[in-house]
Amino acid sequence: MDNVHDTLPSKDLDLTVTISLPTGIWPEDIVLGKVLNLQDGFGGMQPALEGLFSATMICTIVFTTMMLTMLPIPYIERKFIGRLMDRLGATTTLRSLWIGESGVTAGKWWDQLPFGMGAPIGWLNKTLNSIWGNDHHLEAVSRVNNRGYHGYWFLLPGFFQAFADFTKFAGKEHIVPKEADRPVYEVAPVIIISTTVLVFAFVPFGPHFYVSSPELSVVFMMAIFGVAPLGVFFAGWSSNNKYTLIGGMRSAAQLTAYEIPLLITVLGVCVISGSFNVVEIVDFQAEESNVWNLFMLPLGAALFLITMIAEVERIPFDMPEAEAELVEGWWTEYGGMRWGLMFAAEYQRCYAACLLFALFFLGGWEAPFQGTMEALPLLGGPLELLLSIIPGIVWVLIKAWALFAVFVWIRASLHRVRTDQILEFGWQWLLPLSIVNLAIAMFLRVWVWDGSWGIIAPVVMILSGILGLVILVVDEDKEALESMKRPYSTYAVTKAYPGRHPDSKLEDLQRQYSSYTAVQAASSVSLSDTEARS
Amino acid sequence: MAEMWISMGPQHPMTHGLWTLKVKVDGETVVDTEPDLGYIHRGVEKICESRDFTQITTYCDRLCYASANTWSHSYIYAVEDLLEVEVPERAEYIRLIAVELQRIASHLMWLGAYGPDIGNLSVMVWCLREREMMMDLLQELGGSRMHYNFPRVGGVKRDLPHGFAQRARAKVSLFLDRIQEYEALFDESTIFLIRTQGVGYSKPEEMVNHGVTGPNLRAGGVNYDVRTAHPYSVYSELEWEAPVERPSIKGADCYDRYRIRVEEMRVSALMVLEALDKIPLGADTYHSPGDPAILAKAPSRAKEGTSGSHHFEDSRGESMFYLAGGGEGRGKMPYRVSIRSPMFITIPYASKCMVGYKVADIPAIMGSFDPCIGETDR
Amino acid sequence: MGKTVTTSSQKLAAEEMSSALSEMDGVVAVVSERKSGTSPRNIVSVDCSSENWRSLAESMRIEHGVDYCSMITGVHWPEGSSDKNWEVIYHFMRMGVENPPVIDGMVQPIVKDPSKLEGKAVPLEIEVRIALPETRDPKVASVQDIWVGADWNEKETWDLVGIDFEGHVGMRRVLQPHETPVGFHPLQKQHKLRYHDFEEMYDDAQGFLRKPSDAGKIK
Repeated sequence: MDNVHDTLPSKDLDLTVTISLPTGIWPEDIVLGKVLNLQDGFGGMQPALEGLFSATMICTIVFTTMMLTMLPIPYIERKFIGRLMDRLGATTTLRSLWIGESGVTAGKWWDQLPFGMGAPIGWLNKTLNSIWGNDHHLEAVSRVNNRGYHGYWFLLPGFFQAFADFTKFAGKEHIVPKEADRPVYEVAPVIIISTTVLVFAFVPFGPHFYVSSPELSVVFMMAIFGVAPLGVFFAGWSSNNKYTLIGGMRSAAQLTAYEIPLLITVLGVCVISGSFNVVEIVDFQAEESNVWNLFMLPLGAALFLITMIAEVERIPFDMPEAEAELVEGWWTEYGGMRWGLMFAAEYQRCYAACLLFALFFLGGWEAPFQGTMEALPLLGGPLELLLSIIPGIVWVLIKAWALFAVFVWIRASLHRVRTDQILEFGWQWLLPLSIVNLAIAMFLRVWVWDGSWGIIAPVVMILSGILGLVILVVDEDKEALESMKRPYSTYAVTKAYPGRHPDSKLEDLQRQYSSYTAVQAASSVSLSDTEARS
Repeated sequence: MAEMWISMGPQHPMTHGLWTLKVKVDGETVVDTEPDLGYIHRGVEKICESRDFTQITTYCDRLCYASANTWSHSYIYAVEDLLEVEVPERAEYIRLIAVELQRIASHLMWLGAYGPDIGNLSVMVWCLREREMMMDLLQELGGSRMHYNFPRVGGVKRDLPHGFAQRARAKVSLFLDRIQEYEALFDESTIFLIRTQGVGYSKPEEMVNHGVTGPNLRAGGVNYDVRTAHPYSVYSELEWEAPVERPSIKGADCYDRYRIRVEEMRVSALMVLEALDKIPLGADTYHSPGDPAILAKAPSRAKEGTSGSHHFEDSRGESMFYLAGGGEGRGKMPYRVSIRSPMFITIPYASKCMVGYKVADIPAIMGSFDPCIGETDR
Repeated sequence: MGKTVTTSSQKLAAEEMSSALSEMDGVVAVVSERKSGTSPRNIVSVDCSSENWRSLAESMRIEHGVDYCSMITGVHWPEGSSDKNWEVIYHFMRMGVENPPVIDGMVQPIVKDPSKLEGKAVPLEIEVRIALPETRDPKVASVQDIWVGADWNEKETWDLVGIDFEGHVGMRRVLQPHETPVGFHPLQKQHKLRYHDFEEMYDDAQGFLRKPSDAGKIK
């Protein structure tokens, strides 16, 4: 503020207090200075107000962005799991893009396109459905499987389920168990939800899209991420319920056990990138090294993934809220919006984990092979132009959502690990591996890095990562494996399989009927069924 | 931490039915258990004392609703023992097909519930998808999807429908392929192996002393099957062998019990295919209901002082009916119907098996014994 | 053909056991042939007196290797003869199940060809009936310590029929609620199914007589 444009001159309201005492007591006048100078006071507030205003605006914008970009997360979860579980049709999204009018052309919008342009889409839909076995001969079952017959074309059907859920939660009564420890009961959701939201304070969604970026942002994020177990334990204990107590204790043990490998892995990332600031880590991958940290630290990426899945309590590390035994685990007694927000907080932590993985390991807002593409001789310029049109946030989101799809995939296919096995795995396997990862990171940064990674280091690391994967996946010694696994073959030398009996006519039967694929069986069934029933 | 009693109470997503399992827990370790049954005791035994022999079949379907055909057939064999009825061979083959299809459906239901117990949510939907195929077949045979009321005293209600043989062969062959999918999902998953191997050991001699039979016993390494040891129906005419598991040294654990049921599904599927080949008068001929080829004339009254009993291999073990003749209606209704349910005996044994393991193992162990409370409480 | 226990070997084994059991006093054992669909089966049917039951049970377990208690049930015959007012029926099986042997650290499953079993290895079914005279509190010796499978069966029999088992540890209600009144055993014949001499299914299918105020209504 500049005092030239004051409407009120400062001096007029310059209330300087001067105390003059008799010379005997104090020789000079005591000037207490400007006790009440409103203009200066107001003037001093201005930068603070500016700061507050801009901070509020940026926080609001980033928070809104975070919430909006989180909306696809439950959508991905629901739809992807549905397809993995074979519950929804293979191509529901394809059909639901436009529903048609009054259900007449429901689901087959491609027939409405002029000049028969939609025929390939129709063929694709039909083929995918028959490959994935979704063409039931009963029309009613097909319609159930291909839900999406009702809705508007510009809204993705099923997308607003999350809104409906939260509206329902908001309208529910807040029930507190009678003997529950009330202060702790109320504080627990506050801790969980607030610390989860605070993580997003320093998560950059794009190159200049963050609330703030202090030097130690990674340290703060990890620290605040790790406060939630405290809230979980409070919730489990204060509900006055044996189930929640067990759930809370399991959760506290599990989250504590996996914090340490997580922190050491993140430390490895920071070491290799040379900074504790997230933006600088992404810049390191984008500008300086041109290699994503995923390829330099494959072990670190795997460790980060596993520990993050354990931190957000998803299957396979689902024990604290295992529905099979503990109904809902540590949040059984919470209802209404508290539960709704904690449920949202779980997805937020998941989202934060996906974003952090995208930022730490997948190069953040950099397009794949961006550096290489831009360095191409002829095409480099135009490609750089094209890539600069796409805002960085798009890449971050694509990577985060794709990673969340991987989380969902893992959830749908793996079993739940028992608590003591989880703890054993965390302490005995992940902790040493994370220290090894840290050592590799230190080695790479100190001895290999000299302004760039060169050619050898990334290739070596990528190959070692692939080698590790191959070793883990392939069974080396089939026989030893079989005998160790207690082969389920019964007393018979050969396992039971179709056509096992050497002298039965089953072989002919199998030959005759083994040409039945799923499609043929279903379609031939439909014909004879209708015959028999008519 | 102090020991405390947790009640895995009547309302619980894991317990596969309506019963209470009180568990005394020291931290995470189970120290003691106490099962509490009787929540759906419907008094079937008392009701049957005032129902005709034909009317009781519908009650027996509802004993274990997941495996209805095995129970109604178990009852019908006991009635035929009481009334001394000769059953035509074609009817026996049709009964065998119905029972084995039901066994497959029951084991699929079990597998579909066991997956989510261990944590795998996808396998539930996959197994129910396969079970739909079996339910379609059973619907064609019996008329409804769950409680078929299929056998009659002296035969079956109706013959194989037109085209049933073709559809059954197609569906069962497809199912034999799909079993490999499930095996891949379970056997090749390290997490499943560490959850189920080494958990819930049980030894065969102990099991027999407790009264446990069926797949739970065969998982222990002994091939005892009621269908071969006390033969009934036409099982002796088919080429089959009851699958036996090779257990671990300390006994049969959850993994063995899971494996045995998968093998049983295979064997049942092969039996169905074979029975469709070997059925007398061919699988494509159709006899109207009441035809002597599928239903023999049976007396409707049992004299006082007679009694009939029959052991049957239910999906879960050995089920048995004991009927005392000479009741109301001058013998039209049985004087006493006594039902032996395998799960009634297995659940206390399974509860004992849990002692010493963790709380997280409770669903694994309980699920692996395949409880069905409908038959337990009658 | 498929391997099942042959009828002849079963019959032979049944005859052996019944003759061995008949030598005990108070015990009469016969072989009775039952229909089982298309194949008959032979079981050992034993009539025993309640005083000799305990010794019979022990001998069955120890000498004859009966290792499996299948079912214990009771019947109330209020109109029967005075010495057969209650009947306790036991079903046992001799299974011959042993723990599989362990060779070289691998368990070898025991697989026996059922058609080749002979002698004591043949699975056999035994039915034991004990008739009790007219009494207000019928009781029989418990065999809970001999076969653990008898434990819950005896609880159920007492719970539903009312026959007590002497020496049974931990007798309690198992199918009915724990608070069921003492002395209420529903399978006794004095408890009618619904209303006395009223068969609702046939007399009042639509249930209008359940409330006197509904009498005379037509649906």
